[in-house]
Amino acid sequence: MTSDFDIVVIGAGVVGTAIARDLSRFKLKVALLEARPDFGDESSKGNSALMTSGIEIAPDSLEYRLVQRGYARYLEEAPALGLPMRKVGALTLAWSDEQCAILEEEFERVRALGHQDFYRLESAEIYSRWPNFGPGIRMALWAPEEGIADPFSTPYAYVLDAVTNGVEFRHSWPVQSVDRLQNGWALHSADRNVVRARLVINASGLRADIVEALAGYNDFEMRPRRGQYLVLDKAARAIHDVIAMPTPTPKGRGILISPTIFGNVIVGPTAEDVDDRDDRATTVDGIKLLKEAMATMVPGLTAIPVNTAYAGMRPATNYSDYRIIPRFDHDWLTVAGIRSTGFSGALGIAEHVIGLIVPHVFDVRPKGSLSPVSVPDLSEPSNRLLKNGERSGADPAYAEMLCHCECISVGEVRDALASPVPPQTIKGLKRRTRAMFGRCQGFYCGARVQAMFDERSKP
Amino acid sequence: MKAAIGNPRVLIVGAGPAGLAAAAELARSGVSDVLIIDRDDSPGGLPRFCHHPGFGLEYARWPYSGPAFAKKMLGQLQDTPVRISMGTTLLSIENGPVCEVIGPEFGHAQLEPQVVIVATGIREANRGNRVVPGVRPAQGILTTGLLQQLVHRNVSLPSYLRRLVVVGTEHVSFSAILTARHAGIRVVALIGADERVQSYSAAGWLARALGINIHLRSEIVSIAGTSERVEAVRVRKDRVTRDIACDGVLFSAGWIPETVALANGPMLIDAMTKGPIVDQAMRTSIPGVFAAGNVLRGVETSGFAALEGKRAGAMAAMAVAGKIPSGQARETRKMAQSRVPQHWDHSLPEPLELSDRWRPARFRDAYERQT
Ligand SMILES: Cc1cc2nc3c(=O)[nH]c(=O)nc-3n(C[C@H](O)[C@H](O)[C@H](O)COP(=O)(O)OP(=O)(O)OC[C@H]3O[C@@H](n4cnc5c(N)ncnc54)[C@H](O)[C@@H]3O)c2cc1C
Ligand SMILES: Cc1cc2nc3c(=O)[nH]c(=O)nc-3n(C[C@H](O)[C@H](O)[C@H](O)COP(=O)(O)OP(=O)(O)OC[C@H]3O[C@@H](n4cnc5c(N)ncnc54)[C@H](O)[C@@H]3O)c2cc1C
Repeated sequence: MTSDFDIVVIGAGVVGTAIARDLSRFKLKVALLEARPDFGDESSKGNSALMTSGIEIAPDSLEYRLVQRGYARYLEEAPALGLPMRKVGALTLAWSDEQCAILEEEFERVRALGHQDFYRLESAEIYSRWPNFGPGIRMALWAPEEGIADPFSTPYAYVLDAVTNGVEFRHSWPVQSVDRLQNGWALHSADRNVVRARLVINASGLRADIVEALAGYNDFEMRPRRGQYLVLDKAARAIHDVIAMPTPTPKGRGILISPTIFGNVIVGPTAEDVDDRDDRATTVDGIKLLKEAMATMVPGLTAIPVNTAYAGMRPATNYSDYRIIPRFDHDWLTVAGIRSTGFSGALGIAEHVIGLIVPHVFDVRPKGSLSPVSVPDLSEPSNRLLKNGERSGADPAYAEMLCHCECISVGEVRDALASPVPPQTIKGLKRRTRAMFGRCQGFYCGARVQAMFDERSKP
Repeated sequence: MKAAIGNPRVLIVGAGPAGLAAAAELARSGVSDVLIIDRDDSPGGLPRFCHHPGFGLEYARWPYSGPAFAKKMLGQLQDTPVRISMGTTLLSIENGPVCEVIGPEFGHAQLEPQVVIVATGIREANRGNRVVPGVRPAQGILTTGLLQQLVHRNVSLPSYLRRLVVVGTEHVSFSAILTARHAGIRVVALIGADERVQSYSAAGWLARALGINIHLRSEIVSIAGTSERVEAVRVRKDRVTRDIACDGVLFSAGWIPETVALANGPMLIDAMTKGPIVDQAMRTSIPGVFAAGNVLRGVETSGFAALEGKRAGAMAAMAVAGKIPSGQARETRKMAQSRVPQHWDHSLPEPLELSDRWRPARFRDAYERQT
């Protein structure tokens, strides 16, 4: 089967879905192709979900500009999409003389850029506001605007919005080879489907180099970097409710301890260069590092039960900045190397991409009317319970709880299964609802959730 | 939240052996207006999913199968005015007692019963709770409870799942072996941290006769495979590690009382047992709230849980009738932590009419034996 599009976006990570959503605002025929059965199943699934304003990024980079825009757009657009965000603030901590010196310098640097909402805190103030930190902290930088958001619902909202407004989303569609046409490209899948596009946007994240090579480009190399995490039970939030991280080193930001939008606390990520980009296993050594970081920074957390451990893979390249490379004479646009800020930067990246394309490549107008889209707010069980209580009069399925740890009702799981972008796997259902993501990890609800999923999948 | 409608006199949370036994005892004592709520879709508690014999011995003097024991417990409530509301979840308990619940019957509501009995049971520690490193496939990493529920509910297991490694050597680990066999899955190895099998030694012989390798003094180091499936587990014994090829891993035991609805309220929880602190009348630290069954600690048999529920029912009936105070006595002698009960109140009468069947000595002994 062959179909024709103006633009094809390869890769439905947070970046590709954001681009597809912005493209859906124009009179263009757009397809979003994804190799995996669901969106957001690669780099975009295992991150810290910090919504960062970008202050820590080198100001002469494209990343700095796009993350700032991404953050601003998120604040503006997330509420209408139903996406929760909490400005919990971030603390960068120093224990040694050397670290203090680095933070002093960083403080001057960031202030000089014009960021006023950025503070230098002395030890006494830190301990009076956050008494649970371990001993020895000498100073900290305080960035109160830094936030946390929902890592799964965010790309879900983007893809749902894109699809609702005319983009064709094809999952399980790995681009395996490409042919140059007079105008544009023909893309071939493993099972011999063909899609033709006048412009291809390569947003294939962790595998961007492989897709680039199909078209004959090799401007960068992937340097996948793994990050492991521990997820602590919700009891942890009574002890720790702020983003806390050590003074950065040339190697990176270090292991942070942060609340999640769901009310847990995460400890991570490690930063390990790995050979196999698919090796998202947690390791004995990684977990040891995380436990040590926890014991140093917030010792009280070591008594809190662990719910689970996971790892993510950063789509880093041999460059530190984003690799956004227009090749419009070849009808190809590369959007890669979105290493460690893509969750925050996605909307800024999408806006930048539209700016490159419209009107220079496609001289088109915005659509007259759009259909609004919103996703369920999965952040706090208490909000959900209130809402479920209210609508249970009309539909009792919202009052029948299925996942007891996260308080997810039968009605909510049923709704997720009936989505215009339905889950293709049990993991996809988990991410859309949070069922089985709690402390029991499916001991109580796993069988019933699987049964509901199987029921839907029956021919 | 809706205001209280039709407050029951006694609210029992959990329709497992402990909750059902408490209800039967309350009915026998003539307390009317007892409501059991349970968040699952049908009553009976955990035994419902477990089809081999060995349930209810201490309570009913017969080793029923799990579902048969659940049926027997429910049968006791026939012709009594006890009501059961399924799909109703307890969310929190405050002093009062005031219970926040949600369910199709009540919506999101507050109930203010005179007496509450918490019998919410226990679960097993999963792979995440134990922080076992390695790959994280979507399927193939189980607990006994999850496997038994999948089999009971006829949910199809991954077709490649033929060889299973079971972590743990307690009774429940052998329960897992039986269920796996029933589902056509071969258990290839059993891994235990202790010197010897924690269940009956006969269970160990039986397992070996079935061709299961038992690795004692061993620990699971990591899980190998892909993002789709398990391929092996790495096991360490005396600093030597080896890989055991398998398609799935089942974590058994590692008991954690189900206190999600209690965690943010005023009820005192024991640091060691992780269950509510009770006295021998099963009274918790919230006046009017009793607790019984495996929510008190890991783990006792279903028959024992039922006996405890019966005791809580009897004591609650006395509290309803004003024969004993509904709160813990202040001068209660504090017993060593991590034993159940954590308090012994010498001013309380032992309900005589039940003592022969309760075998209080064994009961009290079992209480104090817990570590
Ligand atoms: C440990 C860690 C912590 C992080 N923390 C943060 C944070 O706190 N804040 C923040 O803003 N960012 C954070 N990030 C960064 C953020 O997660 C990434 O920048 C972002 O997910 C990159 O998204 P992407 O869409 O570019 O890539 P991906 O998510 O990898 O998406 C690419 C998609 O393309 C698909 N694909 C690949 N090849 C093909 C093909 N041939 N055909 C079709 N489809 C294909 C893939 O299946 C995938 O779905 C973190 C990342 C990691 C790993
Ligand atoms: C896998 C497994 C195998 C076992 N095998 C045996 C065996 O062979 N023989 C034996 O004697 N014992 C066995 N046991 C132990 C036995 O199941 C328990 O002793 C018994 O079920 C404990 O009864 P209970 O009433 O305390 O709790 P449960 O049976 O766990 O019942 C608790 C009930 O409370 C409900 N509930 C929990 N929280 C809430 C809430 N917040 N709101 C509303 N309802 C709630 C649950 O839905 C459940 O129905 C096994 C246990 C397991 C896990």
